[in-house]
Formats: sequence, C-alpha cells, structure tokens
Amino acid sequence: MKRSKWAAAAALLGVVTLPGCTTVEPWERGNLAKPHMALDSNPIQTASREHINDSRQAMPSGSSAEGGGCGCN
Amino acid sequence: MALLGVAAAPAWAQSADADGVSLQYGRYHEGERDLLGRDSRFDPITVDSLQMGATFMPSDRWRFRLGYAQDTWSGATPISTAPAPAGTNSDAITGATPYINTTANLFLDQATLTPLELDENLQLTGQLDPRLVHTLSGASPETRRQLDFTLTSEFTDAVYSFGGGASLEPDYDAYFANIGARWDFNRNLTTLSAGLSYTSSDIDARIDHDASPYIYDDCGFLCDSPSGSAHFVRANDFAGNRSLVGEREDWAGRVGVTQIINRGALLEAGLSFTNSTGYLANPYKVVEALFIDPDQQFLAPEGAYYVTMAALMERRPDERNQGALDLRYVQHIGATDAALHLDYRYFQDDWGISAHTFAAEWAQPLGHGWRLTPRVRYYSQSAADFYTPYLVTFQSEHPPIIDPVRGRVYLNGNTPDDGEIYFDDPSVADPQGVNPNTGNPVVDRDGNPVSQEIADMLFGATTNLDRSLLPAHYSSDHRLSAYGALSYGLTLSRELAEGVSLDLSFEHYTHAGSLRLGGGGEGDYSDFDYNLFSAALKVGFGGAIPSDAMFGEHGAHADHGAERHDHHAHGEAPAGVMFDHLLAAGDVMVGYRYMYAGQDGGMLRGTDSVSDGAVKAVGCAGQFCPIRPADMNMHMHMLEFMYAPTDWLTLMVMPQYVDMDMNMRGLLVLDDFIDHPDIDTTTYFHHTAHAHATGGVGDTGLYALVRVAQGPNYEAHLGLGLSAPTGDVGIRLRDTHQVETGFIHYGMQLGSGTWDFKPSFTMTGQDERWSWGAQANATIRLEDRNASGYALGDVYQATAWGGYRFNAWLAGTVRGVYTSESAIDGAFNGTFRPIGTTDYTGNYGGDFADIGIGLSMTIPGETLRGNRLAVEWLQPVLSDVNGYQLERSGALSASWSLAF
Repeated sequence: MKRSKWAAAAALLGVVTLPGCTTVEPWERGNLAKPHMALDSNPIQTASREHINDSRQAMPSGSSAEGGGCGCN
Repeated sequence: MALLGVAAAPAWAQSADADGVSLQYGRYHEGERDLLGRDSRFDPITVDSLQMGATFMPSDRWRFRLGYAQDTWSGATPISTAPAPAGTNSDAITGATPYINTTANLFLDQATLTPLELDENLQLTGQLDPRLVHTLSGASPETRRQLDFTLTSEFTDAVYSFGGGASLEPDYDAYFANIGARWDFNRNLTTLSAGLSYTSSDIDARIDHDASPYIYDDCGFLCDSPSGSAHFVRANDFAGNRSLVGEREDWAGRVGVTQIINRGALLEAGLSFTNSTGYLANPYKVVEALFIDPDQQFLAPEGAYYVTMAALMERRPDERNQGALDLRYVQHIGATDAALHLDYRYFQDDWGISAHTFAAEWAQPLGHGWRLTPRVRYYSQSAADFYTPYLVTFQSEHPPIIDPVRGRVYLNGNTPDDGEIYFDDPSVADPQGVNPNTGNPVVDRDGNPVSQEIADMLFGATTNLDRSLLPAHYSSDHRLSAYGALSYGLTLSRELAEGVSLDLSFEHYTHAGSLRLGGGGEGDYSDFDYNLFSAALKVGFGGAIPSDAMFGEHGAHADHGAERHDHHAHGEAPAGVMFDHLLAAGDVMVGYRYMYAGQDGGMLRGTDSVSDGAVKAVGCAGQFCPIRPADMNMHMHMLEFMYAPTDWLTLMVMPQYVDMDMNMRGLLVLDDFIDHPDIDTTTYFHHTAHAHATGGVGDTGLYALVRVAQGPNYEAHLGLGLSAPTGDVGIRLRDTHQVETGFIHYGMQLGSGTWDFKPSFTMTGQDERWSWGAQANATIRLEDRNASGYALGDVYQATAWGGYRFNAWLAGTVRGVYTSESAIDGAFNGTFRPIGTTDYTGNYGGDFADIGIGLSMTIPGETLRGNRLAVEWLQPVLSDVNGYQLERSGALSASWSLAF
C-alpha cells in the first residue's frame, strides 16, 4: 500500500509543480513532435490493452464506451 | 522535417497513428485460479486477437481510417462464488466440475452467519469456515469481430471527425457512431477537443446449458426480470435451451484540453461522462443464495442454522452513470531523448464504484532504430453497492402454500397441472383416502373425500421465494468487488526499414483484493493474473514514419525511398499463388495475404449431390449419421517476410492466423430418437443448437526459393519449405450437461499438428503485356500422427495462369487449379464424440478443380510507390470428394505487398 500512496503523491507533485506556461515557438517544438512524445504513442497497442482492461475491470480505461462487445467471460 | 510536421498537425494533440497499415497479433493468457486446491478440468481463459488498420489521405484535407479487429475467447470463467463447504467444484467426475447448487449439508453459525466447516465425510468439525471459492464453468471458443472507420477533415486550426462501426459476436452485437472535434489556438499551444459517441447493443445470450437447469426458476422459464423492460428470457428450442434477450444503450461524451507547457512538456486534462441504460448485467453470472428455512431448522445443531443453497440470475440496476477525470503528462528527457509519460485517472459511478489509475511509461530511443518502453500501471477500485459474494435470506427456498382457512395445499403428483387442489380435513364425515404423512383424511376443493389412490400421490404445493426479502440488486461478479491491480510491461520497437517497424510487447497483470488502495479488498479467492503478449507490424506510406524523428540520429535511409524497386519484373501472378517470385539481392519484402474459403449448400458424395436422407442413413463411415454441416467459413491471415541474401536465393518466413466458424444441421426427426435410442442426444443438441468457432495462430511456414533457370523473358525456381506445427490441434468443445464433449472436429483445428514438407516448382514468363506462369506444389506430412493422434492427408496441386497488363498499374489474370488431397489418417486420441460427417476421417480430401479470375494493381503515385494489391476469386468447377462432404462455394484471395 505504501508504494501506491507514493505513486499518488508523485503524480500529484508532478502536476502541481509544473512550470508555468511559456510561449514555445514553432521552431522550438522539435522534441514535442517526436512520435514517442505523442500522448498516445502506440494507438493499436493501447486499443488492445484497453479492450482487455474493459473486460476485466469495473472502470472503462478508454474515454468512450463504444464497441468492445460483451466482455462477459 | 519535424518542424513541417508541427505546422501541419500538432503531434501532441493526437495519437501517433501515421498514414499506413498496421497489423497486430495479441495473445492473452490467464493463470490458473485457486479452487482451494482442486484442479479445474477447464483451461484458464485465453484470447487470440488480430487487429488491422489502414489510414490514408484520399485528398489533402481528408483522412480515412479503417480498422478491423477480431478476438477468439476460450477457457473457463467463474460463474458464481460460494462458501467453501458448499463443495461447488466437485471432482466427482474427472477433475473439478461445477455445481451451482450445493450437494452437501450446509450450516451457518447463528451469531455471525459464517459457514461451519465440514470434514471430508461432510460432518461438522465445530470450527468456522469463512473461505470462499469461485465456481468455474467452461466455454467453447467464440469469436468477436469488429469493423470501424473514422473520417477526418483537417483544417488549419481545426479537425473534425466522424466515425462508426459494429462489433459482432454470437451473443452480443454492438453498433456505434461518434463525432469529434479539435480546435488549435493560442498559436497552437492549446488544443481543445470534444467528442460524443453512441452505442446500441443487442444481447442474445444463451444461458449456460449446464447451469440453466439449476438456476432458481420462478416460473418455468427463468422469468427473472428486475424491471420487466430491459430483458427477458426466451425458450428457444425443444432441447430446453434458453436465451437471455436484452438491449442496452450507451452515450458517452468527453471534453479535453491539451497545453504545451514548455519546449519539452505537455499536459492534457479530460473529463468524460457515460450514461448506460438497459440490460447491464452479465448473463453468465449467478449469485448463490443461502436459504435459512424456519421449517427446516430441526436439522440444525445447537447454535447453527441449516441452509440450502440456490443460484439466482444476477440483478443489476438498469441505469449506470459514470464520470472520469484524466490527466496525462508527457515530459521530454533531454539527456537521453526519452519521453516520460505519467497518467492519472479518477473514476466514479452511481453504482458506488470509485477507482484510481496511475500509469507511468518511459519511452527510450536506443539508436539504430531501436526503442524500449517499460511501463507500470496501478489500479484500485471500491466495490459496487450491490456487490456480494453470496446472499443469505431468512425464508424457505420453496415455501409451502397454506390456505388461511383450510391449511396446507396439496397437489396430485400424477396430474399436478390439472388445477385440482387437496386439503387435509380431520372433520370429514365419511373419510376415504388418508394422507400418509399426516394421517389425516383428504378432501378435494369441494370438501369431498378422495380415494387412497389419490391420497398416496399428494405432495405439498409450494410457491416461489419472496423476492421482497432480497436486495433489489445483487452481483458476485468479482469485477464489481473491491480490489487492486498491478501491471508492468515492456515494449521493444525496431525500425526494420524506412517506414516499417515491428513492436513486441509483453505485460503481466495481477488482480488481488489485497492490492486495493487502503486495504479492505476482496478475499484472495478471487485473485488472478494474466500475461499479454503482442506483436505489431506497421508500414507507413511514403515514409510517413520518419526514421530520423522516431529514432534519434538514425537517418541514414533518408533518401532510400527514391531507390525503391518497382517489382514488375516477376509478372503478375494471381493473388492465390504463393512462392511466385524471387527478390533481387539485398531486397526485403513485407506482405500480407488473406484467404477465405467457404463451404455452403448441398452435400456431395464423390461428384454427386446427395440428399440429407442419404447422408443420415450412411454418411458417418457407412453408419447412421445424425448431423451434417450447413456452412463453414475459413479465414487465413498470413504475414510474409521475404529477404534475398543473393540473386538466386530468397528466404521467407510466413506466420499465419486462422479462424473458422461453422453451423451444423441436425437431420433427426422425432421417430429417429425412438428408432435409435443410442443417439448421444447431449452432443446432438450441443452441435445443432449453435455455431462453432475457433481461431488463433496457425502453422508457420519457413521457405527457401532457389532459382534454377533464367532467360530474357522467363524464370524458373524451386521452393523448399517446412511448415512448423504452431497451430493448435487440441481444441475442445466445452462440457455440456456435465458430459465431456471433447475435441472439436478435424476441420476446425487450427493447424496440421505435424511438421510438413512443402516443395514447389514455379515457372513464370512474360512478353510485352502478356505474362504466364505454372506451378506444381505439394504438402507432405513428415509425421504419421500429431499430438492429437491423427495426420492430415498429403496435398498435391498443379496450377497455371495467364495475365494481361491493361495499363501501367492494372493487370488481369485467369488461372486453372487442380488439387488432390488424401483423407485423414489416424483419429483423435482423447475424448471425442463423433456424431456428424465432419467427425469421420474418411470424409476429408478429394480431387478438386477450380477456375480463378484475378486483378492486380501496382499502386501508382509517389506516396504509395512499391505497394502492390491483388485479389482473386476461385470458383469451384469440379469436386470429387472422399466420402460425404459439404459443397465448396469458392475461395477469395487478397494480397498486399510492399518491397523496399
């Protein structure tokens, strides 16, 4: 349990101590444009993982409830 | 290059789903569940899944994405939870077999309502036994298929999308549609997004036919409907199979904002809401109810209650509202060019469940096209308000009907449905029959004495349990319990060539009550874990996966696209022909092949059509044959990797994914059951009542193509290949009515099970617009028997084709094919209940001739350069089958390849 509380604290800390927003010019966004910086850097893998999670957990892991099927097993 | 990408569409505001095609195979495998030391005879759940996607831009503004996914589920799942002393996983037959009704005497401690421990002779030990256990039930394989699309329209500062699709499986169909929008402003530092989706689902779930007769039944057909509107139970056939029919609707909305924080960090926050109405329960779950019957307590020892147990269909509310807040943060780590992803999600619904998810991922480019991404995820949820492992209720399972004036009501056991009722009446003037249990004279409704013959047949009338004494909703589905889950995984990505990447991924997931945040989770009886493995191949169009941006300094192939070879040189072999060409030295080709083969229509014996009557009389190896196939579909998905170390040698690896479905037709009429009392009716109804499906990895081919001759306009080569038995040949049907059904028939197994030798000889030639080719190939089984006790027949095939090129990108082909295949040798070496034509080894193979018509396209234009698409339809023209077989309706082949 201790580990999970630490994880929660670390995540919160990350959000709270974010540096203030600054202007980032288009030519300064090279790193942000890298594929592994995308919010979802591996969509097909995410989709399959979410499909499994949706049939194993009470909380849907995706942001929409569409498709997915019964997941009854 | 990267900056141009920024201007066109901010990568941080969307997924990295570049234009191109992707193919992913996944395997999910659960660990064994703990059944208090008993071994389940059912294998844990496995899921084989296949996903395909293609994204392309028909014009500058429009982007179209088409996705296909299928998954085949098999294995055992908990049907209920019960106190350990109830003995629900009996090992009386072979291994543990589920019983949802207790066979043991069960007692609860009066003070705590905790079950009392029983020893191996089912005697009380005086100790408490609070342990719980799942009752596992098996399932035959089933396949779900999903097709979806998204159409996106892209503007300078906005993107609008519209999509939809369908997910189809035997018991559950869902249709969905969605709209979405994204607006970029604040000089593209901020992105707002919003989306709305709607899903409509139809449930038609066959209630577990092992469990169905034992589920508490209020009215003879499980009329257990909490609201009467969301679902009902339908009796669908004379075999007593019942289906739960229901509907469900889901509306979901989401708004999100993405903010660039600095040169190396961005944050997204989103709020989503889902409203679900209709049948939201799980038709395959029951809840055990323990009945403390006041009239039965004379059976209980001092300080204890005597209880009986019955299984009730679970009940959930007809509405659910869910809300979630998610935060995603991505930080670039300059020192190693890594990306750190931190995600948090909070969830709450009006069923009383709240959940937290924390996830972290570190995406680390390693140079030379490699990328390693470890990830860890923690999840914790509270239980639904109505979650309960089992129910305890102070009432009789079937309370006696008592008339307020005349007392206990009795029915005649010979004619219980005739409407007549009887009473004890000690005061009757001229008694005749006497109730053997009470010694009282018996009278009918009008007070007239009845004969001893009738009195001997009386039994007390009972009614149903009083549902007002139970909670309105209850479920023991462990997904609604309080627990935590910890998972960790690793993805290894490798760019194989420009625009082509392969991902391998592994994840281990542990579900445990003790992992719940803050403790207080469900007991460890419900703990389980799983492994998830996946492999994905992505091929970008026109170098859409930029190698320099994706993998750091690795940009050596930047101009390779211009050197791509146009593979016209080998002519235009039809899509159904494999091994038709070699590559030039040093070349690599990635290909995908799809083959469909269908059988439908009438039955054949040799070359002749035969009636169902003839099949029934002698179709099973000369014996009486209750079942014939009605239709069968086979789909094969093959991935081709080709590489030529030199000009005269090309090496190939070809993994494949296979899935099949089939319907059976029962041939029996009522008289047959009388004339053939030995018919295995359980198996008969199991096969005829519903479709069968299997799916998963098939056999893997390893080939070498060796050039033996070459001229100015012809070429000949030899193919030497081995097929490795990676496809499962031990697939079994679920048990039914506590009878082990055993193997599913030969044609539905996923591979040959044997190492096979696959030689081929191919000649191709061309002259101006014309091309031609011929090939002889064989499949020779190198082993007499596979692990399941049989070997498929050898196959010999000859084919020849001609092609004509209409213009620079389109060609047509005509082909003839002759195939000869032997019958199956050997037979299943485990439990197997042959009952139809496909269960007999002599009803496989034969001589076949087909005519094929095909088209092949070399995609013109710069972005899709090197892509080749081909399709071919094979029409059967002659079939001379061994034994009795279903007619073939044709075969479709489609292939796509990309050389570089």
